[in-house]
Amino acid sequence: MIGSIFTRIRPYALPLAVLLITWIVIATITPSFRGAGSVYAVLEGFPLVGLVALGLAVTIIAGELDLSVGSMAALAAAIAVLTSPAGLVGSVLIATLVGTALGALQGTLIGQLRINSLVFTIGTLILLRGLTYISTGNAPIMIQNIEMTDPLLDRYWIFSVSSIVALTVFMLVGLFLSYTRWGREIFAIGGARNEAIAAGVPRVRPLTSSFAISAGCASLAGALAATRGGSAAPQNYADLLLSGAAAALLGGISLYGGRGTVFNVALGVAVLTVVATGLAARGSAASLVQLVTGALLLTMIAIEFLAGRLTLRDTVFGAGLRRNSRDPTDTDD
Amino acid sequence: MIEPEKAGAVGSSPLMRAEAGGRLVWLPLAIVIGLAAVAIIIAIAVTPSFLTVDNIRAILRNASIVGIVAVAMTPITLSGNFVSLAISQSAMLAMVSFVAMVGAGWPQPLAILVVIAGLIVVGVLQGIVVASGLNPVITTLAAGAIIYGIVSEITGGGIVRAGDYLISWGSSTLVGIPIQVLVFLIFTILVTILMSRTVTGRETMLVGANRATARISGISFTRVTIVSFAIFSIGLALAGILNGAAFNQSTARSFPNLTIDVIAALLVGGTAIQGGQGSPLRSAGGALLIAVISDMMVLNDFSTGGRLAVQGGVVVVIVVLLDQLRRRRVVGS
Repeated sequence: MIGSIFTRIRPYALPLAVLLITWIVIATITPSFRGAGSVYAVLEGFPLVGLVALGLAVTIIAGELDLSVGSMAALAAAIAVLTSPAGLVGSVLIATLVGTALGALQGTLIGQLRINSLVFTIGTLILLRGLTYISTGNAPIMIQNIEMTDPLLDRYWIFSVSSIVALTVFMLVGLFLSYTRWGREIFAIGGARNEAIAAGVPRVRPLTSSFAISAGCASLAGALAATRGGSAAPQNYADLLLSGAAAALLGGISLYGGRGTVFNVALGVAVLTVVATGLAARGSAASLVQLVTGALLLTMIAIEFLAGRLTLRDTVFGAGLRRNSRDPTDTDD
Repeated sequence: MIEPEKAGAVGSSPLMRAEAGGRLVWLPLAIVIGLAAVAIIIAIAVTPSFLTVDNIRAILRNASIVGIVAVAMTPITLSGNFVSLAISQSAMLAMVSFVAMVGAGWPQPLAILVVIAGLIVVGVLQGIVVASGLNPVITTLAAGAIIYGIVSEITGGGIVRAGDYLISWGSSTLVGIPIQVLVFLIFTILVTILMSRTVTGRETMLVGANRATARISGISFTRVTIVSFAIFSIGLALAGILNGAAFNQSTARSFPNLTIDVIAALLVGGTAIQGGQGSPLRSAGGALLIAVISDMMVLNDFSTGGRLAVQGGVVVVIVVLLDQLRRRRVVGS
C-alpha cells in the first residue's frame, strides 16, 4: 500500500520539492507574499500562463511541440474583443471555438503530411500573428462596453472567475487524457508512435485532438486576458511560448513524450508564478524573473538528464531523426 | 553536400545511387531559386520601383543581418542539434556589449575582438551542455532567458549608448555596397567552404545524417557540436557588432524578432531540421527570398498584418513542399 502510494507520487516529487523550496524562499524574502493573498496570486497565474502550458504539455505528451500558441492567444484575444457585443461568455466562447477549430486543422495537416510539428508551426506562428494584425487593423483595440467585464474582476476568497475557469479546464483535460479513448491515444502515439500505429491507434486523430486542445487552451487564455483587460494588442503574448514551455518542463512533463499529467503542469505553473509574483512584489524587474526561470529550467533538465530519463532520441526531435534515416541500425544516443 | 551513407541507403545499382543522390542535392535548391525567380519577376512586373539600385541595396541590407545569423546557425542544424532558441538574446548581448565597450573608450578593433571571443565562450558553454546530451532546444531556451535576464539587470532596462565615441562605419558603403552586405557575402562564402570542403564540415554533415554511423567511424559528436556552436557564435557577434555600429545604441530588447526570422530563413532555404541535409548557402538564399517578398509587399503598401500573413504562408508552403519532396525520395527509392 505504502509502496503503491510512493510509486504514484514519485513523478511529482522533484517539482513538488522545487515548489516548496521556492515558496519558502520567496515568502521569507518577500513579507507581502504570505497567507491567502499569496495563494490567490499564484492561482492567478493559471488563466494565462497555466492554460498555455497545459496545451503545450498535451502536444509534448503526443511527442510534438506547438510553437504557435503565442500567436494563437493573440488572435483569440483580438477575436474576443471584436465579438464583445455577443456578451462576456459569448465572446470568450467564440474566440475559443475559432482557436480550437484552427488547432484541429493544424493537427490534422501535421498528421496527414507527416511533417515535423516544429517546422510546420514556425510558419503558422508567423501566419497567425499576421492574421492578428489584420483583424485588429494594426493597432490595439478596446471593448466598447467596458462594464461587461466586471464579473472577471471580482475575487472570491482565493479564487477569481478566470482562475476557476482555468482550473476547471485543467480538470477536464486531465479527465480527457486519463479516462477517454482519444486521450489514451495521445499518450500511446507520443510514447511509442510506430508501435502504437502498428497496434491500431490512428495516426492522425491523436494529433488533431492534441493540437486542438493546445490551440483551444491558448485561445481561452488570450480571450480571458483580453476581456479582463478590456483590450487586445496585435503584438501581445509573443513571450507566452517561453513561459508556457518553461512551466510544462519545470513541472516534469517529459520530453520523451507519452508521459506526464496535468498535475505536473499545475506544479510547474505554480513554481513559475511563485517566482514571478514573489519577485514582482519585491519590486524586481521582469528580467530577473526570466533569469531565475532560465536557471531553474536548466537545473531541472540537468537533473532529469542525470537521472538517466532524458535522451534526445525519445523526444519530438528524435522522431525526426529516426524517420529521416530509415535505418534499423541507427541508434543514436 | 556530401551524403555518403544516405546515397548508399537508396537504390541498388551505382547508377541509381548517383541519380538519387544528385537529385537530392539540386532539387530543393532549384525550388528555392525558382521561387525566388518567380517572386522577383512578379515584383518587377507589378512594382516599377523594384529594380532600382537603391531598392536592391535596401533588400540586401535587410537580408544581411538575418542572413549572417542563418548562415552561422546552419552547422548546428546540419549536425543534428536542431535550432537555437537564444538567437535574439545572444545577438542582443553582442550588440549591447560592443556599444558599451566603445562607449567606455575602448579602441574599436579591441572591442570587436572581445565581443567575438565573449560570444564564443557563451556559445561553447551551451555547446558543451548540448554535447553532453541535454536537449539543444530546451538548453538554448533556458540560456536565452538567462542571457536576457543578466543583460537587463546590468543595463537596468535602459539604453546603452556609444556616447562621444560615435561609430562611423556602421552605415558606410564600399563601392556602393553596404558594409553589412559585404560581411554577409564574405561570411557566407567562408562558412559554405568550411562545410563543403573541409573535414570538419563533412564530419558535421555525417553526424547530423546518421549519428550512429558517425560514432562508429570515430567522429566525435562532442567536438562537432562545440565547433558548430562556435561558428554560430561568430555569426551572432558579427550581427550584434554591425547593428551596434549602425545604430550607436542598444537595449536589452534589441533584435526582438530575430529568432523566428532566422529559423524561418533556414527552413525556407531547404536545410532539413533533422540535420544532415542542407547548406549555409541555402540559408542565405532563404534569407534573401524572404527579404525580396517582404520588400515587394512594402513597395505595394501591404499592412504589417498582410506582410506577416503572406510571409507565414510562404514559410508554411515551402517547408511542406520541401518535406514532401524529401519523403517521396526516401519512400520512392
